[in-house]
Amino acid sequence: MEQLNENIYEIDLSEADTAPDIIFQLSSILDKDETRNKRICLKLGNVNLNQAQLLSIKSLISGIDSTLSLIDTKSTETEKVALSLGMIISNISPENITEAAPEMPYKMADELKEEQNNFTSEHASKKVCEADIVLNKEQASSQTQNLTDLSSENSSLSDKAEIYNETLNIGDKEEIKEEILPSETQEPICDVNEISNEEDISIVSEKSDNKEINQNVQDELDVIFSSSFAQNTFYEMESTESEYEPKEELTDIVVPEAEYTKEDIELESFQTKYIKQTIRSGQVINFEGNLVIIGDCHPGSEITALGDITVWGILSGIAHAGAGGNQKARVRALKMNAIQLRIASCYSRRPDSLNTAYIEKTNSFTPEEARIVNNEIVVFKIND
Amino acid sequence: MTGRVIVITSGKGGVGKTTTSANIGSALAKRGHSVVLIDTDIGLRNLDLLLGLENRIVYTLVDVVEERCKLKQALVKDKKNPNLCLLAAAQTRDKSAVNAEQITKITEKLKKDYDYVLIDCPAGIEQGFQTAIAGASEAIVVTTPEMSAIRDADRIIGLLEAAEGIESYKLLINRVRPAMIRTKDMISVETLVDTLSCQPIGIIPEDTGIITSTNRGEPIVNDEKSLAGQAYMNVARRIDGEDVPFLDIDKPKDLMGKIKKFFSGLKKQGKEQ
Repeated sequence: MEQLNENIYEIDLSEADTAPDIIFQLSSILDKDETRNKRICLKLGNVNLNQAQLLSIKSLISGIDSTLSLIDTKSTETEKVALSLGMIISNISPENITEAAPEMPYKMADELKEEQNNFTSEHASKKVCEADIVLNKEQASSQTQNLTDLSSENSSLSDKAEIYNETLNIGDKEEIKEEILPSETQEPICDVNEISNEEDISIVSEKSDNKEINQNVQDELDVIFSSSFAQNTFYEMESTESEYEPKEELTDIVVPEAEYTKEDIELESFQTKYIKQTIRSGQVINFEGNLVIIGDCHPGSEITALGDITVWGILSGIAHAGAGGNQKARVRALKMNAIQLRIASCYSRRPDSLNTAYIEKTNSFTPEEARIVNNEIVVFKIND
Repeated sequence: MTGRVIVITSGKGGVGKTTTSANIGSALAKRGHSVVLIDTDIGLRNLDLLLGLENRIVYTLVDVVEERCKLKQALVKDKKNPNLCLLAAAQTRDKSAVNAEQITKITEKLKKDYDYVLIDCPAGIEQGFQTAIAGASEAIVVTTPEMSAIRDADRIIGLLEAAEGIESYKLLINRVRPAMIRTKDMISVETLVDTLSCQPIGIIPEDTGIITSTNRGEPIVNDEKSLAGQAYMNVARRIDGEDVPFLDIDKPKDLMGKIKKFFSGLKKQGKEQ
């Protein structure tokens, strides 16, 4: 095991023969302070690990504020299991990763990315998820994407939804053109793609009008996109960029049907606080519940709530709803101009195309709502 | 008699706090009020320069605080206007030389003898700012129609709202360029006021005369022809409680300008229809 740079830490466990052995050795290594807050590359030998064992390894690593960034294994069994959990399998030497992984434009990115990875590890035991990958480079390079409705059920949601371009990776247009998905990782994903009649899923086109999807496909999609696999792979894949040929871009957005879950119950049980004032630059508002702000939130302000955030005015600062990890939390505003939106462990910034320095007050605002769809923050217009 | 203590602040530097202090002070004094200006920008004093009083300073604010002189001795009378006094800042010290309690004591004393006590605040939100606003009950937030200045003004207003002593605050928009607003290169005054949700007390046009007046050490309110001077005079009248309409700063100077403005007005109407 060696320390490659400040962020990446490689742990070599290829000599360990059994699963308990691996976990024992790993935990003794992770006791050291130097492994904290690192992206960890795990080298494994020819040992078959099952889902639970991999998950426990991941939770061990996330327990010390680090992220399991890569798994290098000789066993195909382990590889399959890890893939199904959204972990990245690779035999690339970690040096390449450090080169390829760009510094995130925002500070928050790293933290949230790690959070996000941790989050997946908790939820990964759900049904194995597969992602649909759509080739659409043009769309990827445009920072804001309009998406049209998928189905009649969802038509009430919105006609036009702006996607807050959440992955920082998409930040630079030029980078995107070179954006790559590793062929290895991709194959298993594509296999499962048979369900998706490509036309139906690759919505993202400004011109394409409402397309109808039959109920069956929709149901299957719901299952597929209820998980965060796609998102995560996208994050991680970039780090393996240099090894692979450019192929495809992940750009589709599908609105899954809402299910009534524990998170909804939690949201409903929260207390709600009303604040009738303008939130100015430098002011911070925290509340353990739902927040309603009657007034504008100016740029430079920060609002954090465990539940929903509703701004009766222009939201131009930073809003973090569901700060306790509630994925169903939403941010609503009469005018959504937030510099950053955060919901649970998702994070997005304002698309550069919306980067207006100031908003002229008119009487014709369309209220907007941001929520997590497919592990991305999407802003919907509330028309009705 | 108790006077009003008004702090002139901005957050961002270079937006015209000191110019505003000097001009409002002079304008109020011209209207017959007794005014004292306090420069709290210790170490970077400029107010004396703008009033042309640099050579008359013997004792400063720090001398008063450290009791090397009496308060009355440190007050410098203006050249033209006997109603106007200046309590200058020390140039050889820094902001830590005076604290909030000491400045409050001084303003309490001055309030009894003067109608207006104007405090020129240093840039920033640190100790100097906290010291300057300590004694004041009203504030004028100076800003320019630029994003950075607006952002800083927003922050300052937030701090003023949180501050205990400040009862009211008003916005003064400085260096407005009507020509740029017309071409939409500058944020309009209405939008700015909306953005900051704060009542304006004055709109001062950009005026090259300010530079010459600063260099000469004579506030621009003394020049009655100057548009900026008139605007500052109006601010003083509004502080006094008069209801003065905002100056039409978009006044064309020559015939060509008038024709241009007429046509641009027609264009606007056409667009609206």
